[in-house]
Amino acid sequence: MQPLSNLLFGMLRMSTPLLLAGMAGVLSQQVNLLNIALEGLMLAGAFFAVVIGAYFGSAWVGLLAAMLFALLFALIFGFFIIDLKANLIVAGLALNILAIGITSYLLVIWFNARGVYSPGNFEKLPTLTLPLIEKIPFLGDVLSGQGVLVYVSWLAVLFTSLLLYRTPLGVHMRAVGEHKESAETAGIAVKRVQYTAILIGGIMCGIAGAQLAIGDLTLFSDNMTNGRGFIALAAVFFGGARPGLTALGCLLFGLFEALQIRLQISTGLPPQLVQMLPYIMVVLLLIFISVRDKYRGKAA
Amino acid sequence: MNSGILSKYGTQFLQVALTLTVALVMGALVMELSGKDSVEAYRVLLVSALGSRTAIANTLLAATPLIFSGLGAAIAFRAGVFNVGVEGSIYMGAFASAWVGFTFLGLPGLPLILLSVLAAVIVGGLWCYFPGVLKARLNVDEIVTTIMLNYVAILFTSYLVNYPFRLPGLSNAMSAEVAPQAWLARLVPPSQFNASFLVAVICAFFMAFLFNRMRLGFELRTVGDNPIFARWSGMPVARVIEKVMFISGLLGGLAGASQVLGVNYRFIANFSPGYGFTGITIALLARNSPIGTLIGALLFGILRSGSSTMEIFTDVPRDLITVLEATVIFFAALEFSLTWLRRKQHATT
Repeated sequence: MQPLSNLLFGMLRMSTPLLLAGMAGVLSQQVNLLNIALEGLMLAGAFFAVVIGAYFGSAWVGLLAAMLFALLFALIFGFFIIDLKANLIVAGLALNILAIGITSYLLVIWFNARGVYSPGNFEKLPTLTLPLIEKIPFLGDVLSGQGVLVYVSWLAVLFTSLLLYRTPLGVHMRAVGEHKESAETAGIAVKRVQYTAILIGGIMCGIAGAQLAIGDLTLFSDNMTNGRGFIALAAVFFGGARPGLTALGCLLFGLFEALQIRLQISTGLPPQLVQMLPYIMVVLLLIFISVRDKYRGKAA
Repeated sequence: MNSGILSKYGTQFLQVALTLTVALVMGALVMELSGKDSVEAYRVLLVSALGSRTAIANTLLAATPLIFSGLGAAIAFRAGVFNVGVEGSIYMGAFASAWVGFTFLGLPGLPLILLSVLAAVIVGGLWCYFPGVLKARLNVDEIVTTIMLNYVAILFTSYLVNYPFRLPGLSNAMSAEVAPQAWLARLVPPSQFNASFLVAVICAFFMAFLFNRMRLGFELRTVGDNPIFARWSGMPVARVIEKVMFISGLLGGLAGASQVLGVNYRFIANFSPGYGFTGITIALLARNSPIGTLIGALLFGILRSGSSTMEIFTDVPRDLITVLEATVIFFAALEFSLTWLRRKQHATT
């Protein structure tokens, strides 16, 4: 049982940034804005989590900074795609490259560090022990003792789901996504609804970045998001932009990442080959859902 | 008629000039905000990129892979496929090229070069052809698949030189050296500037010919402008997309081979500093015109080759160039939608 509970523990840890970015992707997809920028928003969050955290010597301040700066980047993205009506894909790509450029530029300017910065003067975010659940034999090992943002990511799924399906704002969001012109005619402030979705998503991506940078270690490395924004986007496609199914997709990809790490530790397999696993699984899953949709389309 | 063409190129030139100006101003702003002397930095950059014979040769050297990758992005974008996977093809093509070069040691120079390039072209082409088939036949989103496959290509080639083709005793993972008879001629020693630049220029002109004079060019432009019209007029849309993706990856393979046969003489793990992504920036800046891409690649060659010296002498990190790239892409995102809006207005009025 020990290896299995370890694996599942790892799955929850690895799926945390994916869940948060995935929910950000769900929100923007629901207002009909394809969000290519998840990757860059996360990277900005990760960078400022470490930098500001180190400056104030506190991971909590780092987390707050990650949320604020990712929000700022989301505002830039939103301004381009909502107000200036820029091409979604190209603007998303631009934001990702901006995040890479700015973070590696500032890394050299501020710390004279190229590639990696690990300040080591402050503690990572704390872990939480769940009372009662901790006592349950197998489940306790898996669920309890995770980093605090792991639990936040579950709340984010719940929050997204409630927001979309149980609040007036959620109804407006889905209306905008369904048919923008009708929503406008019905008196919904389309731009404001779209901004809200993008900005909430920005905050979530900031938290996702913080998990990567100060959740387990306190370290930033160039491009440390490593395609997770796009993996989260694949989960959004998998889930048809519904929070529950998307979360399932994120957990699945988190499982492959955890499996990849376990395989590296416990077998002699070359790490580069094992690291390919999550990326290949994303491609396979995208093929699977396209075949499924095609089949469904014919059946309907 | 003539003035129409002139004004068309005129506006295009103005657009590009404006984009670059804004990018340079953004860069200057970033430098000033971080307490650096932007005028001095740009001056050093320009002088070290263009100030001497060797400097110019180094700039053309830096532009070479960008011409290939820019063309690779341009042809896909022109057909309406957002291929981000040229980077992966660069890696796979580079390894294939190196493998031929260090395996068939007995072959004479020219056949070995041709075989090595052929391997790069086929492997690089197939690497993008595969997501192209998925896009064309199953409508699998090409952005996510090509980005995932970039990671796979980088990791897989890194595995190859770390395990089966590992050279013992070296700290960096790299393959064995390509047979010397396959090394491309260096045109302006001591610079590494080599004959692959000429191939890149020929490719740009050939792509211009393909876009404007060949059947595939007409088809891919139609598919890019109006896929529904293309389908209804009987064009094999799926096959066009697949061909375009193969050519896009093929150009990535050539970029890889140019680095192996012309510069490093071997495959080195993680060797590309994002040639594929800069190629995307260039194609967007050039509005997917092949000759525009050639010129754009030369401009980015200046930025790339000048930026290392700039970093040494003015303490401005060379990552500034990435910020400039981002600005260029933001601008391209705007103009995309502006031209689209204009077309829509035409349609409604």
